[in-house]
Amino acid sequence: MKKILVSIFTLASLMSFGQNPAPAKPQTKTIALMGGTVHVGTGQLIPNGIVLFSNGLITNVVDGTLVKLNLTDVDVVDVSGKHVYPGIISPASTVGLQETGAVRATVDKQEIGILNPNIRALIAYNTDSEIIPTIRNNGVLVTQAMPQGGTVSGSSSVMMADGWNWEDAALKKDDGIWLNWPNYFARDFNFEDFTTVVKKNDKRGPAIDALQATFADAKAYAASPTPAVMNLKLEAMRGLFSGKLNLYIRADYGKDIIEAVTFAKSAGVQKVVIVGGEEANRVTSFLKDNNVPVILSGLHRLPNREDEDVDLPYRMPGILQKAGILVSLSYADEWWRTRNLPFLAGTAAGFGVTDREEALKMVTSNTAKILGIDTLVGTLEKGKQATLFVSAGDALDMRTNVIEHVFIQGRKVNLDDRHKRLYKTYKDKYEQK
Amino acid sequence: MTKHFLAAIFAAGLTYSAIAQTTFPRNGVYDERPGMYAFTNATIVVDPQTTLQNATLLIRNGRVEAVGASVNIPAGTVTTDLKGKRIYPGLIDIDSDYGMPEVTRSAGGGRGGVPQYESNKKGAYYWNQAIQPENEASVLFKANPTKADELRKLGFGAVLTHPHDGIARGTGSLVALADDRENTLMLKPGATAHYSFSKGTSGQQYPNSMMGVVALLRQAMYDADWYKRSGSKEQANMSLNALTRNLALPAIFEANDKLGIVRADKIGDEFGIQYIIRSTGDEYQRLDEVKATGASLIVPLNFPQPYDVEDAWDADNVSLAELKHWEMAPTNAGRLAAANIPFALTTAGLRNKADFWTNLRKAIENGLPEQKALEALTTVPAKLIRVDDLVGTLQKGRLANFIITSGNLFSTDNIIYENWLQGKQYIVNNKDLVDLRGTWNLTVGSQSNLRLNITGKSADKPEYQIQADTVKITPKVAISGDLISMQIQLDKRKPGTIRLTGYRTSPTNLKGDGESPDGKMITWTAVKAVDSPRTTSVTSTSTTSTTATTAVSSILYPFVGMGNAQKPKAEAVLIRNATVWTNEKEGVLTNADVLITDGKISKVGKSLTAPANVKVVDGTGKHLTNGIIDEHSHIALLSINEGGQSSSAEVRMSDVINPEDINIYRQLAGGVTTSQLLHGSANAIGGQSAIVKLKWGESPENMLIKGADGFIKFALGENVKQANYPNPGVLTRFPQSRMGVEQVFMDHFTRAKEYAAGWAAYNKLNAKEKATALMPRRDIELDALAEILANKRFITCHSYVQSEINMLLKVADSLHFKVNTFTHILEGYKLADKMAKHGAGGSSFADWWAYKMEVHDAIPYNAALMHRQGVTVSINSDDAEMARRLNQEAAKTVEYGGLSEEDAWKMVTLNPAKLLHLDANLGSVKAGKDADLVLWNANPLAIYARPEMTMIDGAVYFSLKDEDQKREQMQGERARIIQKMLTAKASGASTTRPMPRRARMWHCEDVEGVMAEGEEGK
Repeated sequence: MKKILVSIFTLASLMSFGQNPAPAKPQTKTIALMGGTVHVGTGQLIPNGIVLFSNGLITNVVDGTLVKLNLTDVDVVDVSGKHVYPGIISPASTVGLQETGAVRATVDKQEIGILNPNIRALIAYNTDSEIIPTIRNNGVLVTQAMPQGGTVSGSSSVMMADGWNWEDAALKKDDGIWLNWPNYFARDFNFEDFTTVVKKNDKRGPAIDALQATFADAKAYAASPTPAVMNLKLEAMRGLFSGKLNLYIRADYGKDIIEAVTFAKSAGVQKVVIVGGEEANRVTSFLKDNNVPVILSGLHRLPNREDEDVDLPYRMPGILQKAGILVSLSYADEWWRTRNLPFLAGTAAGFGVTDREEALKMVTSNTAKILGIDTLVGTLEKGKQATLFVSAGDALDMRTNVIEHVFIQGRKVNLDDRHKRLYKTYKDKYEQK
Repeated sequence: MTKHFLAAIFAAGLTYSAIAQTTFPRNGVYDERPGMYAFTNATIVVDPQTTLQNATLLIRNGRVEAVGASVNIPAGTVTTDLKGKRIYPGLIDIDSDYGMPEVTRSAGGGRGGVPQYESNKKGAYYWNQAIQPENEASVLFKANPTKADELRKLGFGAVLTHPHDGIARGTGSLVALADDRENTLMLKPGATAHYSFSKGTSGQQYPNSMMGVVALLRQAMYDADWYKRSGSKEQANMSLNALTRNLALPAIFEANDKLGIVRADKIGDEFGIQYIIRSTGDEYQRLDEVKATGASLIVPLNFPQPYDVEDAWDADNVSLAELKHWEMAPTNAGRLAAANIPFALTTAGLRNKADFWTNLRKAIENGLPEQKALEALTTVPAKLIRVDDLVGTLQKGRLANFIITSGNLFSTDNIIYENWLQGKQYIVNNKDLVDLRGTWNLTVGSQSNLRLNITGKSADKPEYQIQADTVKITPKVAISGDLISMQIQLDKRKPGTIRLTGYRTSPTNLKGDGESPDGKMITWTAVKAVDSPRTTSVTSTSTTSTTATTAVSSILYPFVGMGNAQKPKAEAVLIRNATVWTNEKEGVLTNADVLITDGKISKVGKSLTAPANVKVVDGTGKHLTNGIIDEHSHIALLSINEGGQSSSAEVRMSDVINPEDINIYRQLAGGVTTSQLLHGSANAIGGQSAIVKLKWGESPENMLIKGADGFIKFALGENVKQANYPNPGVLTRFPQSRMGVEQVFMDHFTRAKEYAAGWAAYNKLNAKEKATALMPRRDIELDALAEILANKRFITCHSYVQSEINMLLKVADSLHFKVNTFTHILEGYKLADKMAKHGAGGSSFADWWAYKMEVHDAIPYNAALMHRQGVTVSINSDDAEMARRLNQEAAKTVEYGGLSEEDAWKMVTLNPAKLLHLDANLGSVKAGKDADLVLWNANPLAIYARPEMTMIDGAVYFSLKDEDQKREQMQGERARIIQKMLTAKASGASTTRPMPRRARMWHCEDVEGVMAEGEEGK
């Protein structure tokens, strides 16, 4: 009994130490961010801008040198010399779905089974994850909680980095279904000499056949508004054929991309997004012709082949952008690394994307367009939600990504996080300044 | 079954031998024959240097009695006229497993199985199953007629066979390929000693890495020495006994690749042994290093098949190095010969032994002189294994092992007729076979207008066709010696077969009789009208064309697509007008110049005058810094963890440097110039580090920084206690808790202390006392630990949580040694005061956390907190990808903790130099220091920055502006070889699907057999 008590106490004390700050209160008063460099997220830059928002929505974004606003009854925040950005959006993410990678009990990112369109990521989304404050403190304010596993993994939802529970945090529920395209090449690991052999995947035929049958059934099922027998899996896929849901297909190799997109289109899927796209540079005209956007996997990866240009992964966004493809950047399943997503945009800008504002679009407005949330977030434009942040300097560069204010739907977010608390504790211990 | 039985009876019945039958009782009548044979009028290749025309070879009792132009043939000699034919010494293969038991790896023991920590071999042997020098081919040998016949047909007469199992494999025996009793076949038992880098069938955990293999063999050699001196009084050990005994024999080491040759040779040097090294056919890629070993090689002819490159996209999976190797492998032997590296050839490694002659001829077409080829199959192997008094030439007294051929052994149309072994004839092809090929005028009964065309690729495989006016008929023909029988259906419309039987009366005449379909007796004759044309000229044409195209291929340093045609050399360079981050008290200088001469920084200042012949680089708008130093790296290594025991202090990462890892080049492109290549974190006491400069194209030896202090990896926490092992149910390796980890250190250091004291006492003795005293046993594990205690080797310890960090500090304090660096040290901020007091540095990630339990409290402010507490802090990678952006990782300390940019930059340059004790030469831009410099397009801490030039010791190893040209060259070379490969496939060569082999990316917890590809985590 005593032991149990002790452990309860320990737990309680840990929790009090580890607890995230409470979600922010709704915006009650109009706020004006004055004098900052406003990165609109459309490519436009306003050097001395004013961002005005009220009741969680942006009411005006203007050039402060040209326009005088009536600021009575407005909380004015002077951000001159600083930078205002739309909240960065992290697509294809497992933030909220896993906490400590090696501890199975804290990982809820994938389900068993092959065809799981009915699995919904937002159900497991943990608003109390200690990862979340650390990512929003680098400007990542929206994530797409994505399921993994199987061939059809389930459906994702777009989540805000603030909320009491997953219902609260959801910005868009069930935005699309995730499909792991059966790979043309499979990796084979050799335990004898510890090398990986890449060879043609001989087992993919049956997997693709099963997909074809499932999508055909789903399409037929979707044609009937009230099927005689309810099928949860087919029900979950209904929106694919009306254009309500995206089909996110994970594919990297050029042939896989072509096959997967062709498959989806012929199956009657309206909106297809390629996720991963590590060799999308091989199929740019195909992607362009079919109007397929690409969510690239983390740029901070190694080239896939020994002879590949050393900087090809870094240059990929620029290559696709110049080919006229809608590109978004992701950190894929690297949940805790998501806080570095702004720096992927920085890398893209340093390696071939036209300029920094274009690179910024790849983590804001482009992503919003692809995810179908562009009427809500992604830019600093009138009518959009006031999901935005103020950085001391260039937010795409880690030296100057120092976040001073975060607003999510106009709610002022507490910038505390586990790391800052431990920092403070030990700074105090050592009496460091 | 019956057939086999009959064959066996025949074999036994027809076998006779004049030698070595003395002790055997006979079931029947003695049948010892004089065994005298003379071969006259032959072209005799006595040895590769001596060819006699019209000569005679006389053999007696299985030995060469005489050879020469005028040999007296005694009465009672069987004489064979070999006019127009040749005699060569029988060929020798000295890497064979002929007659050895099959080596089968026991199933299981893989992932999740129960680890085997002790030897399964019962008996008074070495503790480790992979050391089995007690195995003897002479005891294991069992003749195998089928395999012997296969090799005899290729012309081989004797092979050196040994059991291919284990690191120390025991002895080999020279055996003849005849069919006889083993007693007769064994030409020299216990001829050689054999070693390899493979633990073979041993399922024992240790060693599970290449550096562990090296360490185990070294320790076994020292143990053998100890056993000889005094150890045998303490224990009986048949392995150590054999290891010492085998020292007297020629030693053969089977290397796994070109790097293995150098590695094996280095082991030999330590023990005064010059190994003969069995290579793998890629030596041409590092010829200088191979030659420098002074080793003789045993070279296979295993050329890769062409890849299937018809699909352009799929073909991307084949690397340029693989393409080039396909093209260049046939030049290997020729290049070895040209470099005067002595070598023997072997059939080992061939997918199919029958490819031997095809491939050997290909090697000759690609530059291997025929004489060298013959030497490599006769005199060289004989000398290498000290059996040149027995085999290899046809000089008097040698064994009568020889082959009779139709002509030049190496020409495409040569036929091996007979292979004589110890004076016994084995017929491969009938030398007396009459070549019937040609056009014959055939008369059958009254029909005289017939033509018999005999064609075919060789005389022994004739094809027949009869032409009657315009009608072509294929007869059924059987020939046996001079007898011939034929069945002909002369008229297709009329059923009925004429059956003819006859014989040869002369080379151009056949006659006989037969029966027509209606039973009438008829006679027939055939007279040869035209001989068939020879086809030799065609082959020689294709030969020239192959040689011509091969000549285009060139070596790359290293042999990787991104390798250089020449190794970069130090240049005199003046970099002008750059922003220079000195890391010295001068700070960041703007518009400054840096002069580099002889691989060193010679001047730093403003408006320096350019000496003559100096290359001037305009640095306007650019930043010049030191090269990045990665304190924690696992690139450029062939394996990472020797996790078979809780301590592996004896292993050296310098034994497993892989200079061809593409990540070297990728990191040069990210500004890295120096890396500490660390052992992994699978066990508490890991292995000895290799500190290298990333000199792309150099040898492992030249990459190592000369005179650098020795370091060793330690590890604490989850990996050491195997917390994330996939099958925790089978774990039996001590320790399994952080409590046990401490005891591993206490135990090992206590023993090391006693060990060092033992040696110190012994070394103090005078010569006289030493003569009677017992020299302590050399233990290379305790050597390394004793070095730590003596402040001669320094620790880099993988660590995460504060309890364990504190523990190691206490252990170190109590035993009076220092922990040089805690690496990872994600909770270092909790103990920064204690670390500073102890004098330990910290080498950390910038912002990693959340991937496992022990990084739960990791914070990105760690570096800043430790730094401000006076700890020397560096930011490291532990990751091939992150290492190429270490500048960005350093920059995160500006974001988290607000360090100054200069301090942030030192985290990846000067501070790691200090932690590695290399700051006297590295880490700052100062006159006199090594010219390891990077020119950046922007402030190096900016996300937008990238290196435009990376220089090591004054030589440019990466240049952004040359990248496009490099790519173009690669594409050109690729396209050229692919075209050639397509041609090869079109002309019928079997192909291999494009299946690129990819060395894996190592992280420090990659335990061989524990973490699967793709499993992430630090």
